[in-house]
Amino acid sequence: MTATTAPAGARKYDLNFARWVYENVDGGERMAKCMQCGVCSGSCPIGTQMDHGPRKLFMMIRAGMKEAVLTSNTIWNCVSCYNCVVRCPRQVPVTYILHDLATLAVKEGYAEAKQADNARFAKAFWWSAAKYGKTDERLVTMKYYYSFGFGEFIKRGRANQKIALGMIKTKRMHLGMPHKVKKGGELKAILAKAAEIEAKKHG
Amino acid sequence: MTKKFTYYPGCSSEGSAAHLDKSLRAIAPKLGVELEDIADWNCCGASVGHIEGGHLPMMALSGRNLAQAQAQGPQDVATPCAACYLNTHHCNEQMRASERLKAEVNEALSAASMNYDANLHVRHICEVLVNDIGFEAVEAQVVKPLKGLKVAGYVGCQTVRPFAATERGGAYDEYDQPKFLDNFTRAVGAEALDFQNRTACCGGSVSVMSPEKTLHLMKNILEEAQEKGADVISTPCPLCQTNVEMFQDQINAQFGTNFQIPVVFYSQLMAVAFGLDADKDAALNQQLIPAPQIAKAAGG
Amino acid sequence: MSDRKTGVYLCGGCGIGEGLSLDQLESVAQENKAGLCRRHDALCTEEGVALIEADRANEGVTDLVIAACSPRVMTDRFRFDGTPMVRANLREMCIWSHPAGDEDTQMIADDQIRMGLAQVTRMKTPQPFTEGEWSQRILVLGGGFTGMRAALEAAAAGHEVLLIERSDQLGGFARNASKDLPHKPPYREPQPNEIGKLVEAVQADDLITVKTNCTVAKTAGMPGRFEIDLDQGGTASTETVGAIVIATGWRPYDATRLGHLGYGASPDVVTNVEMEKLLAAGGVTRPSDGKAPKAVAFVQCAGSRDPEHLPYCSSVCCSVSIKQALELIEADPETSCYIIFDELRTPGQAEEFYRAAQEKGVIFIKGKVKSVDGSLKVLVDDALLQEEVPMEGLDMVVLATGMVPNSTVADQPFENPEPAVIQVTDDIDPRSPLTFAGAEAAEKADPAARPMMAGAPLLNLQYRQGPHVPILADGFADSHYICFPYETRRTGIYTAGPVRRPMDSHEAAQDAAGAALKAIQCVRNAQSGEAVHPRSGDMSYPIVNYNQCTKCRRCTVECPFGAIDEDEKDYPIVNPSRCRRCGTCMGACPVRTISFENYHPEMISSMIKSVEIPDEFDEKPRILILACENDAYPALDMAGLNREQYSPYVRIIPVRCLGSVSLLWISDALSVGYDGVVLMGCKPGDDYQCHFVKGSAMAKERMSKVGETLKSMMLEEERVTQMEISIADSKAIAKMIDDFVETIDSLGPNPFKGF
Repeated sequence: MTATTAPAGARKYDLNFARWVYENVDGGERMAKCMQCGVCSGSCPIGTQMDHGPRKLFMMIRAGMKEAVLTSNTIWNCVSCYNCVVRCPRQVPVTYILHDLATLAVKEGYAEAKQADNARFAKAFWWSAAKYGKTDERLVTMKYYYSFGFGEFIKRGRANQKIALGMIKTKRMHLGMPHKVKKGGELKAILAKAAEIEAKKHG
Repeated sequence: MTKKFTYYPGCSSEGSAAHLDKSLRAIAPKLGVELEDIADWNCCGASVGHIEGGHLPMMALSGRNLAQAQAQGPQDVATPCAACYLNTHHCNEQMRASERLKAEVNEALSAASMNYDANLHVRHICEVLVNDIGFEAVEAQVVKPLKGLKVAGYVGCQTVRPFAATERGGAYDEYDQPKFLDNFTRAVGAEALDFQNRTACCGGSVSVMSPEKTLHLMKNILEEAQEKGADVISTPCPLCQTNVEMFQDQINAQFGTNFQIPVVFYSQLMAVAFGLDADKDAALNQQLIPAPQIAKAAGG
Repeated sequence: MSDRKTGVYLCGGCGIGEGLSLDQLESVAQENKAGLCRRHDALCTEEGVALIEADRANEGVTDLVIAACSPRVMTDRFRFDGTPMVRANLREMCIWSHPAGDEDTQMIADDQIRMGLAQVTRMKTPQPFTEGEWSQRILVLGGGFTGMRAALEAAAAGHEVLLIERSDQLGGFARNASKDLPHKPPYREPQPNEIGKLVEAVQADDLITVKTNCTVAKTAGMPGRFEIDLDQGGTASTETVGAIVIATGWRPYDATRLGHLGYGASPDVVTNVEMEKLLAAGGVTRPSDGKAPKAVAFVQCAGSRDPEHLPYCSSVCCSVSIKQALELIEADPETSCYIIFDELRTPGQAEEFYRAAQEKGVIFIKGKVKSVDGSLKVLVDDALLQEEVPMEGLDMVVLATGMVPNSTVADQPFENPEPAVIQVTDDIDPRSPLTFAGAEAAEKADPAARPMMAGAPLLNLQYRQGPHVPILADGFADSHYICFPYETRRTGIYTAGPVRRPMDSHEAAQDAAGAALKAIQCVRNAQSGEAVHPRSGDMSYPIVNYNQCTKCRRCTVECPFGAIDEDEKDYPIVNPSRCRRCGTCMGACPVRTISFENYHPEMISSMIKSVEIPDEFDEKPRILILACENDAYPALDMAGLNREQYSPYVRIIPVRCLGSVSLLWISDALSVGYDGVVLMGCKPGDDYQCHFVKGSAMAKERMSKVGETLKSMMLEEERVTQMEISIADSKAIAKMIDDFVETIDSLGPNPFKGF
């Protein structure tokens, strides 16, 4: 969490950050009702591996600590179990908010964000989803491993070779061309339009 | 009497969870369920799509599926995959709640001359089985009860969270100690263990990309199953099944354990108990860790 | 005495008849000169009461001992006005708290009859003090929201009101304030300020006389006939009123002392009161450059809950900041508001208001503000992040300062013209934020120079105990906060609104109604010679036997209510309608010159002595419990109701207040052979529960000197103790008694037995 990881021109503290989150993040308006009870952090199965629990992260948002929030590994380590969502006494959709913060971190170009496993995986995943309309688990995994570089690609590939072979043998992974939607062009057009609307909205 | 649903199998049906898809399609007619696939379904975006794709493109993915479902008829949409359900149900409910979102999704869909009015109901197959079919109807189809088979019912997260207790989610179970899966187990004549890790998280997609962060989570789940003498772990969730099954070798290597516990879908247990073919219908030949105990229980 | 005849009535109901020998009780009654003794299976029935009535009519019965249940129950049944009556408690304190058919239980009952007869023959029916003229008019001091509401309430009940306002117009603080806090469901939006309507209603009321530019120069007299000297713009006049409601409100804490929070460093650091005025004026602009602020931080507890400044919470500042933030956001939705709080206190329905503000995007930050500088950089020690967070880019900072009660006329210096009339010890707590100069002089033990409050007294009372209404450490008027909140320690003078405690307008309206009702009760009771709470309706009052008075001044100094003045020869002068009838003066008097017609030193002494003391060989100790009738006696009753069992060796005598306990009773008890004495009463001290405020504290102080007496009698100090009992102690009380009996057992019998 050093200043060098922030994109040029970004401020460490930004008082308007909380307002921005309240107004632009999916479920952010409910985050305004967070009463800092900590049920979310206490319910998190992976809380010990987070820089900050969701409770603290939300308080950091209120304190305007934009950089610390968007470089926190919390937004990447969320396993999307939704424990916090169903337990929050103020009905704050914690998981959804963490997801959108991750999107924001990538969009704003925070270095940690771009290097996070999750961001790499998301890139590979979206590549498949957008290109083929479907997740080809084999290609996504390979593309993800490849994002770490060729050496890592080989290393991880070898480590998971047994699993991969097992999956192929049990016909849960197939070789050859990926499955894909029939009307790929149609999907592409929809996604392009959606991205265009979103870009317009957030300026 | 047969009830028809528009069916959204999801990407895993063509890969890691092909055995869920296969076994479900096998038991559906027995339970009076007709599944008609969404004609040209696409990926739901899972739990990472938003990061690279963004919020609205993510919604548009579900929007396109729902627009097709709408064109196929007013019947409810059903999906067996936790993530597919989560995203599609969420998108549907958000579009119903927000005129702004509905307009934006439809604006995106218009690029392919499609439209969705947000009048459908998106449901999880498990909820359909509980609310529309019932445990008795499942029991009624059992010809080979799985006598003596000890089953750790592992529900996981997203099948029940965050919608199982909501009205639109069918209000069919609770979040921390859901009962439906144990009831499925009992319905097929097997023994449901008191499994405290039933809604513990397997790490989800984080396990796929960074297993070093989450192996301990799966270890906890397997440990309890082993301590309680489970023959198999049963789950409704594609990613739970894959994670908990395929990482056992790595877990054993890291923690010095000796797990070798089959992880199957509830639908596979039903298929066997309904007297269907263990491989062709129940797809038990698609297990990485074979589960001969099931056939044995059914035979004995 | 020959013309008096006592009837003793033994009830056999509720287990009394089965557990006790009524024959034995009857013979005890006869031995102790009862005129007649009758039994009934249920005295509280119409038949039972008719039996008593018949004896009053036909048998010449003048006094009654009703031996049945506790005097605290069946009070309407056993009501024989004008007839001295004692209720001997055979149920709650005898048969319900001790085993039936037991010798020791019977001995308790026997002694109850003996004590009852000793008591009733020494009681007279009190003759109320009603001489002279009585005013029904009520003075309300302060023409703000609370004062106007109090005036309207009193007028609505048909009382004339004199409403005094120091400034040139009615309205008080609210006149310059913006919107009001929400007091109606759904409690989510600021409400319109309706002070204008209130002013109109007061001006339209024929029963209310308003005097503006007016202050009180002097107040003399007592409830029902206070003589008030007024000063209206230099013109003097005198008015008579029956009771007084003080509604002088509050002033903001002096923000110039909050330099560390940036006050004075930038014109854009303002107090909440200043922000209120900006909002009221409409279109808030910041003082430095007239621009509309886009980012505003509110600093809560600015000088509140801080031992260096105001030690207490003003309870409204959190809601007020929420309100101001919402008003700013309503005027310009682009405004960002931050409320930095230590603990957000939104009492009552204000929690809804808080939620509404959260939903509208007001950002709440839990932490302490370390500093605010001239550039409006706020450094917050964030409690939830556990790190210091700088807030930059703010346009304004609002300091939420607290409320200081106008318990004095702050800006008017006061020279005490008569050094003899000084405020009595403890009546002005030197920790009060209102005190000023004099603290050092007090250390020089100069009583005339003890710390005085800043500013002149509100009423300038011409009382022996000084011109001020007594004040606690926080600067608010002393009162029995839970039971009698509007009371001050000057009977007939009530506080209402923020001068009583910090509060918002909704609470102030309730306060105004409450205080007005108390004032009405007071003027009516004063006229009929009855006490106000807690002994409402009591017609007795202290009567001084001047032949024996040594002019020691203890009664005039120790009366918690300043009821007793001194005449030119230093003899005590009782002002009956100022008196609450606690008897603290009676307990103070070293020579038993003060008495009430139905409660006096000789009466209790006789009761103590009437108990039969077994000799030392019987191994039946006797312990005297003098139990305060406000909490200790009811707690003992409740213990009986719950069938808690405790030692049968105690004998219980109710007293009005521990303050009324004369040390002579203790020496009386020990000299007739009691083995121990317990004073059972309310908690004294800063968080006292004494219903007469100072009574149990006085008892404690006197008890600290009882050791000397015991030593001179060659007795162990442990034989006498004071127990703090609250109404909630009914479960613990049995054990407390048994533990004390055990202590006495270990000391062995009192050597004075049988003397």
